[in-house]
Amino acid sequence: MIEQVKEHVKGLLASGKIAGFLGLRNDAGVVTPFLFKQEEQLDSSFSLGETESQGTMRYPMAKLALHLIQNCDDDSTYGVLVRGCDERALNELKRWNQLGNPDRIVQVGVACTLGLAEEHECRKPFPDEFVAGEKVDPQTNNSVQQVLAKDLDSRLAFWSAEFDRCIKCYGCRNICPVCFCNVCTLEEDALIKTGNIPPENPMFHLTRAVHMAGRCIDCNLCTEACPAEIPLRTLYKRVAEIIADEFSYVTGATGEGKSPLNILGSDPGHTAAND
Amino acid sequence: MKKLIEFYGIDPERLSLKWVSSAEGPRFAKVITEFVDKIREIGPSPLRPKVLMEAVSVEKAS
Repeated sequence: MIEQVKEHVKGLLASGKIAGFLGLRNDAGVVTPFLFKQEEQLDSSFSLGETESQGTMRYPMAKLALHLIQNCDDDSTYGVLVRGCDERALNELKRWNQLGNPDRIVQVGVACTLGLAEEHECRKPFPDEFVAGEKVDPQTNNSVQQVLAKDLDSRLAFWSAEFDRCIKCYGCRNICPVCFCNVCTLEEDALIKTGNIPPENPMFHLTRAVHMAGRCIDCNLCTEACPAEIPLRTLYKRVAEIIADEFSYVTGATGEGKSPLNILGSDPGHTAAND
Repeated sequence: MKKLIEFYGIDPERLSLKWVSSAEGPRFAKVITEFVDKIREIGPSPLRPKVLMEAVSVEKAS
């Protein structure tokens, strides 16, 4: 599988179609993102994030691609390694007008193994097009239903206990592939008191949740990154459900169209202002 | 917003979002008075630190 990806990328590099390939490399057992520019580099250290099995180490490739596109001096085209989640993130970034010319990114898709899909209860463990791997069945995550089954008081106790562990490392925000703002509300003292641990409850986490509306593509990186093991995904997943109910908008889908929260005016036809 | 705070465990009736123009002084007063009356009826917030910490300690113990 990894050989197929390597050959495909080598072809892209040799043809001059891409100036570099944003992938992962294994450097003495440590997997990190890396911009491959020469074919030989692929031979020596290319990785699919496998320290134990495929994808044990995941990175927000879409966010890294965004930084690459925004910060490189020329307008070269780059190849990017994408899983299903990375593709959804890139789609969402496009919808938020973050990628400029989307043709500058050439996606090199890989389908995830069943084990990886199950581990992250992934809703679509493969990109639309992929060069290696096999399509496995989408998995479901029931964490939202579990919280909805509780009454209001139990929900509040549940979330308060979870957020009470927060050490405000901003890991959830930093790893998030669709968190692209230059200035972050979470660091504004006027809006959320800074300097307290755990951060102001529930303002800190609900603020982040509101900002995930129409953006979160359910990649599970936030929950995976959280050192306090807070089930952040459950909260953002519920936010995504609300947006789907209200605006019939599914995040991360391929194609044109804006996120409903990225439209000024009355375009979505929603009149809930006084709800 | 209401659905989000409901998921978090806060009575959605505790939140009200209304558009009031700066030219609508009487309406502003009416909206606020009505909401204050409603909140008084619902009673104190479950987010008061003492009440919240008790709920957290019960949750942690369970």
